[in-house]
Amino acid sequence: MEPDVSIESSSMIQVAVLPIGTVPPNMLRDYYSMLLPLHIIPLSAISSFYTEHQKSPFAHQPWDSGYLRFKFVLGGAPPSPWEDFQSHRKTLAVIGICHCPSSPDLDSVIDQFSNSCKSYPSSLVDRCFAFCPDDSQLEDGSRKGGNLRLFPPADRQTLEFHLNTMMQEVAASLLMEFEKWVLQAESSGTILKTPLDSQASLSSEEVIKAKKRRLGRAQKTIGDYCLLAGSPVDANAHYTTALELARLTGDYFWYAGALEGGVCALLIDRMGQKDVVLEEEVRYRYNSVILNYKKSQDNAQRVSPLSFELEATLKLARFLCRRELAKEVVELLTNAADGAKSLIDASDRLILFVEIARLYGSLGYQRKAAFFTRQVAQLYLQQDNRLAAISAMQVLAMTTKAYHVQSRASICENSQHNKGTGSSNADSGKKHHQSAVSLFESQWSTLQMVVLREILLSAVRAGDPLAAWSAAARLLRSYYPLITPVGQNGLANALTNSAERLPPGTRCADPALPFIRLHSFPLHPTQMDIIKRNPAREDWWAGSAPSGPFIYTPFSKGETNNIKKQELIWIVGEPVQVLVELANPCGFDLKVDSIYLSVHSGNFDAFPVIVSLPPNSSKVITLSGIPTSVGLVTIPGCIVHCFGVITEHLFKDVDNLLLGASQGLVLSDPFRCCGSPKLKNVSVPNISVVPPLPLLVSRVVGGDGAIILYEGEIRDIWISVANAGTVPIEQAHISLSGKNQDSVLSYSCETLKSCLPLKPGAEVTLPVTLRAWQVGLVDPDAGAGKSASGSIMRHFKEGISPSLLIHYAGPLQTSGDTPTNGSTVPPGRRLVVPLHICVLPGLSFVKARLLSMEFPAHVDNNSNGGHVDSQSKMDRLVKIDPFRGSWGLRFLELELSNPTDVVFEISVSVKLENSSDEDNVSASQDASEYGYPKTRIDRDCSARVLVPLEHFKLPVLDDSFFMKDAQTDGVSGGRHATFSEKNTKAELNACIKNLISRIKVRWHSGRNSAGELNIKDAIQAALQTSIMDVLLPDPLTFGFRLVRNGLESQNSDPDKESNTDVESPTSKDSVLAHETTPMEVLVRNNTKDLIKMSLNITCRDVAGENCVDSSKATVLWTGVLNDITMEIPPLQETKHSFCLYFLVPGEYTLTAAAVINDANDILRTRARTNSADEPIFCRGPPYHVRVLGTA
Amino acid sequence: MATTACFIIVSRNDIPIYESEVGTATKREDAAQLHQFILHAALDIVQDLAWTTSAMYLKSIDRFNDLVVSVYVTAVYCDIFLDLSIHTRFMLLHDSRNDDGIKSFFQEVHELYIKILLNPLYLPGSRITSSHFDTKVRALARKYL
Repeated sequence: MEPDVSIESSSMIQVAVLPIGTVPPNMLRDYYSMLLPLHIIPLSAISSFYTEHQKSPFAHQPWDSGYLRFKFVLGGAPPSPWEDFQSHRKTLAVIGICHCPSSPDLDSVIDQFSNSCKSYPSSLVDRCFAFCPDDSQLEDGSRKGGNLRLFPPADRQTLEFHLNTMMQEVAASLLMEFEKWVLQAESSGTILKTPLDSQASLSSEEVIKAKKRRLGRAQKTIGDYCLLAGSPVDANAHYTTALELARLTGDYFWYAGALEGGVCALLIDRMGQKDVVLEEEVRYRYNSVILNYKKSQDNAQRVSPLSFELEATLKLARFLCRRELAKEVVELLTNAADGAKSLIDASDRLILFVEIARLYGSLGYQRKAAFFTRQVAQLYLQQDNRLAAISAMQVLAMTTKAYHVQSRASICENSQHNKGTGSSNADSGKKHHQSAVSLFESQWSTLQMVVLREILLSAVRAGDPLAAWSAAARLLRSYYPLITPVGQNGLANALTNSAERLPPGTRCADPALPFIRLHSFPLHPTQMDIIKRNPAREDWWAGSAPSGPFIYTPFSKGETNNIKKQELIWIVGEPVQVLVELANPCGFDLKVDSIYLSVHSGNFDAFPVIVSLPPNSSKVITLSGIPTSVGLVTIPGCIVHCFGVITEHLFKDVDNLLLGASQGLVLSDPFRCCGSPKLKNVSVPNISVVPPLPLLVSRVVGGDGAIILYEGEIRDIWISVANAGTVPIEQAHISLSGKNQDSVLSYSCETLKSCLPLKPGAEVTLPVTLRAWQVGLVDPDAGAGKSASGSIMRHFKEGISPSLLIHYAGPLQTSGDTPTNGSTVPPGRRLVVPLHICVLPGLSFVKARLLSMEFPAHVDNNSNGGHVDSQSKMDRLVKIDPFRGSWGLRFLELELSNPTDVVFEISVSVKLENSSDEDNVSASQDASEYGYPKTRIDRDCSARVLVPLEHFKLPVLDDSFFMKDAQTDGVSGGRHATFSEKNTKAELNACIKNLISRIKVRWHSGRNSAGELNIKDAIQAALQTSIMDVLLPDPLTFGFRLVRNGLESQNSDPDKESNTDVESPTSKDSVLAHETTPMEVLVRNNTKDLIKMSLNITCRDVAGENCVDSSKATVLWTGVLNDITMEIPPLQETKHSFCLYFLVPGEYTLTAAAVINDANDILRTRARTNSADEPIFCRGPPYHVRVLGTA
Repeated sequence: MATTACFIIVSRNDIPIYESEVGTATKREDAAQLHQFILHAALDIVQDLAWTTSAMYLKSIDRFNDLVVSVYVTAVYCDIFLDLSIHTRFMLLHDSRNDDGIKSFFQEVHELYIKILLNPLYLPGSRITSSHFDTKVRALARKYL
C-alpha cells in the first residue's frame, strides 16, 4: 500500500529524488522545497522542449489545459511488484540533487548518480541537478554534458526559475518517452505481470488464459500512460477497450484496475468541477471497483490484492470526505479498518491506519482520528528501534488534543497560531480556555493515562528526555490519585532520569509537582501602612483611618473590603511577601530546588527559596521579592525548579482544578488530601508599584521585649525611630491608639518634629512615659470596686497595650515629577509602635479607713495647718504622751499588701496647694509637698500607712458647704434651697477630688521601679462619710500666744504660724516661774456671721488638775478668764489679753473653750446638734506651756 | 460463550459518569483500555448520528474488529436552576448480536438512570457512585446480554 492515495494519484508520475554525494540535510531540504511546487507542469509550458518524433499516440492531448503531474519521492522507493499493474507505481524518472561545495569532483558525482539510477530500471529520464558550483566546476560541468545540470549560484527566485525550466525539460522528455513506450506497446505488445499471475500454475489452461488477457491488460496499461501523459480522453478510450476485454476474459483484477483508471480519467477530464452527478458516477464506479477487487480475491493465493481493495476504499473515502457525507465515509473507513486484520504486511497496516486517521481527522472526527493514530503508534512501538519510537512519540503527540492531555507548549503554540492567522480570535480564546479547563476533566482518565504512559515509553525509547519529562510530569500531576505509590515513585525516577540527560536550566511548559495555590497576600505589616494623603489639611491622615469609637463600622467595612480585594500597593525597593501553599499529594519526598514568584511584567525581583515536602503534605511558604520599578505587577504563578527542570506553575490552573474538584469533575483535590484546610478562592489583586516612600522603623531602646511593669509603676522608655527608606520624612505626627491609652502619660511629639526632615538613615529617640494600669481592671469604669480587693490576677494579654501611631510622609512632590498634578500626592504612611506593656500585679491596696484619734497635746504647735517639713516635727507628731492631754486628729489609714516577691517602699506625700482664697488671713501658702517617712513592705506582707488629714481645712465655714454636706450626707437634705443642686454637688466633688488628688502614695521597688498607687476611689469611699469633718474648719479657732517684752511671739495662730516658725520649741514657749506672763488668746471666727460667745480659759497642770480655779491654785492670774463675752465679726479675730503668774515650774496646758450663744443653723449643723436649745460648745487645741524656774 | 461487553454512560462535555465491564469474558487490563478507547472514539459518530433520528436507540453505530458499539441516547435533560442541559448517552461495546436484548438492556438502564436523576442529592452530570445502580446494571447485563 502507498500512503496518501487519492483517485487522482493514478495520473501522477513518480519521480525519485536522490541526494548525490554528501548533501547537508538543510540544503537538501531547501532544494527539495524548491522542487516541490513544480509538481504540476502545464503542457503548454513544455511545448518548447517537445519535439514530435513520430505521430503522437495521445491524439486528444489537451495542450492548452492539460498538465503533467509529478509525485516526488525523496530518497526513492523500492520497485513495487505491482508496478506493471499500475504504471504510476513505477519510478519513471530520477532526479539527483548534488551540492557542489561538498562534492567537488563532478566526475564522481556523475558516477554516483548513474549508479543510483541503476536501482530504478523503470526510470525513463534521469537528471542530476548540481547546485552552487564554483567557476571551475561550471566550466568543467559544461564540458561534461550528459545528465548533469548545473545551477550557477543565484538568488532563490532565479534558482527557482531555472529549476522550473529544467523540470519542464524533464517533463517534455518524459512525455516523449511515454509516446515512445505507447507506440512500442501498441505495435509489439508487452508482457504485463502482477504477483497474482506469477503465482499461477503453469498449466496450459492458465497460459492460454493469460494470452487472452494480455490484450486487455496492454490496453489498460496504455491507458495508464495516457493518464500520466495528461491526456484523459485518450486514457478513457483505452480503458473502455480494456474493460471490455477484461470482462470477457474474467480478469476481475485488471477490470477493477481499468475501472479505477477510468474514474481517474473522468476526474482529470472534469478537472475542477464537482457536481452531484459526477459524485454519484464516481461513487457508483468506485463501488464496483471495490467489488471487483473483492471478487478477484476469491482465488486462494498467497498474495492478496486486498491492499488494492483497501486503497480503493480509501480513495473513495477521500473523494467523499465531507461533513455532509460523514456517515458514508465512516462506513467506508470502518470497512477499511476491518480489512486491517487480513493485511499481512505490518507496514501496510501502518499505512492503512495512518490514512484512516487522516481521513477521520479531515472529517472533523478528532476522537476517531486519535483512536487510529494511537493504533499507528502501537504498530510503531511493536518495531523495536529508535526511529520507530520517535515516530510513535510524534504520532502520539498528535492524539493528545483529542484525549485532553496536551502539553501546555502545544496549547500555547496553537493559540499563537490562531492569533497569527487572525481568523477567529474570539473562537480561539474560547477554545484555549476550554482546553485549559478540560485538561482537568480527567474522567476518561484510563485513556489519558494510557496515552501519557505510551508517550513516556516512546519518548524514553526515542531518547527524547524533554518529551519524557513532560509526559511523566503530566501523568504525575493529573493522575496521581490513580497511581500507586510505587508507580508514583517510578514516575519520579523517570523525571529525575530524564532531567539528567537534559542540559541544566531546561524549561518545560508542563508543570510537575508540587501543586501551588495562592494563599494570601499579607497586607502591609502595621508598620508599613500606606495612608492616603490629603494635602489640603493639616492632619492629612484624617479620614483614611476609621474614625469613631468603633473599630468596625458597617459603613467603612464594605469599603475596606473592596480595597483589600482590588488594590494592593507595593513600593519600589521595599521587600514584599506573598504566601503560597504547596502540596505534595504523592508518596515520595519532594524536594523543590527553588521556587520563586513568576512575574511577567519585569519590574520585580523574586527571591528563590528551597522547600522540601514530605509525602502527602502541604506547606504554606512565604515568597518574597522586591519591586524594582513603578508600574503594574501581575503574578500569574510561580517558577519552580523541581526534578531538574524549570517549570512555571500557574495559580489559575490550580484554581480550575480546585473548582473542578468542588464540582466533582476532577479526581481529587491535592490540598485536601494533604490535610490542608479548605481555603476560599484568593483572587489576585491588582498590584501597583509606587515610587519609593519613606519608611520608619521603630525599636524600643533596651530591647523590644515586653515592658514589664508593676501596677501603677511609672517608667520612662525611649523609642528610637529611624528612616529606613530612601526618601526623607517631612511630616510626622504622633497619636495614641488602642486600649489603656491613659497609661501613656506623655510622649514627645516635639522631639520628632524638631528633627524633621528626617533624612534616610537618620534616627530619633523619643521619650515616652508610661504608667502601668491596674491588672484587675477589665473595664476601668466598672472595675474600680474590684480593684480594691487586689486579688484578681490577670496575666498579660495581647491587645490591651496602647500603641503609638506615627503618621509620616515624604515630600509633597518627588523631585522628578512635573510640579502640576495636585491629585498625585505621594501617600503618607503610618507606623504603629505597639507598646508591649506587661503589667504585673504589684503592691495591692487592701482598704482605706478613716481613723479618728485622740492625739496628744504638744507644747509645740502640732495642730492645724502646719507647714511641718522638718523631720523632727514629724517624729514628734507620732509620739503620744497620754498625760499631756490630746486633741482629735483624723488619719487616713491605708492597708497595703505586697503579694509579689520583691520589697516595696511606700512613701506618702501630701501636696499642699496655694489655697484658692486670696484673703489676707490665709496669706501665702506655697504649693509644697508634705512628706512622710517611708514604709517598707516586705514580700508577702501587709502594712498600714497613716496619712494625717490635717491640712485640708477650708478657711471659711460657709453655709454653702453645709448645703453640700447636707446633700451628700443626706442628713438634712433640702434645708437650703438657695443653691442649685448641680452646682453645689459639682463643687463638693471638686473639693473632694482636690483633696484626694493631693494625697499621693508612691512606691519604690528595687533600683528603677517606681510608681504610684491609684487609690483615689478607695480614699474617696473612705472619706465619704466624714468628709465634713475633714474638710470643714471649726467655727472658731483658738490660739494662744505669749506677749513678751512688747514683742509678740506668735505661736498658734492657725493661719500665720508659717511666718514665725523659726524659734526652737523650747526657747519659744518656755516661761519663767514667779513672773507675770502676759498672754493673749486669739479667737477667730471662721464663719461669715457674727458670733456671740462666752469664752473660758482653763489652765491645767501635768496631772490634769485645774490649777486656776481650784482651792490649791498654783497659777495666779490677772484679767478675765471665765465667761468672757465676746462678739467676733465674720472672718475676724478677736484678741483677749490676760496675764498668768506661775507659782510652780512645770508643764501646763492652756485650753480655750467657748459656748456660742444664739447659734445659727450653720453652726448647729456643723456641731451636729439636734435641738435648738443645746448649747454649742467649741474647744481649741491645747496649748502647752513649759514653766522654768525653781520651785 | 464468553461475551465481552463494556457499558458506559457519557454525560455533559462527553465525560463518562459511569463505566463498567459487564461481559463474562475474563478481564484483561489492556482489553479494558481498548474498550474505552473504542467507546471514546465512537462519540464522534454518536454526536452526528443522534440528531439524524428521533429514535433513542441508535443500534450499532460503530465497530472495531469484532467489537460493536451500540448507543442509546436519552432525551436532553434541562435543569433551569442549574442552567444545565445534559445530553446523556448510554454506550455499550459488545461482541454479541443480540439486538433486542441490548435494546431492552438500554431501556431498563434508562429507567434506573432516571431514578438517579430524581435523587435531589445527585448533581446532574456528575459521576454516578451509587453501588445500588451498579448492582442493578450488572444484573440487567446478565439478564439481557
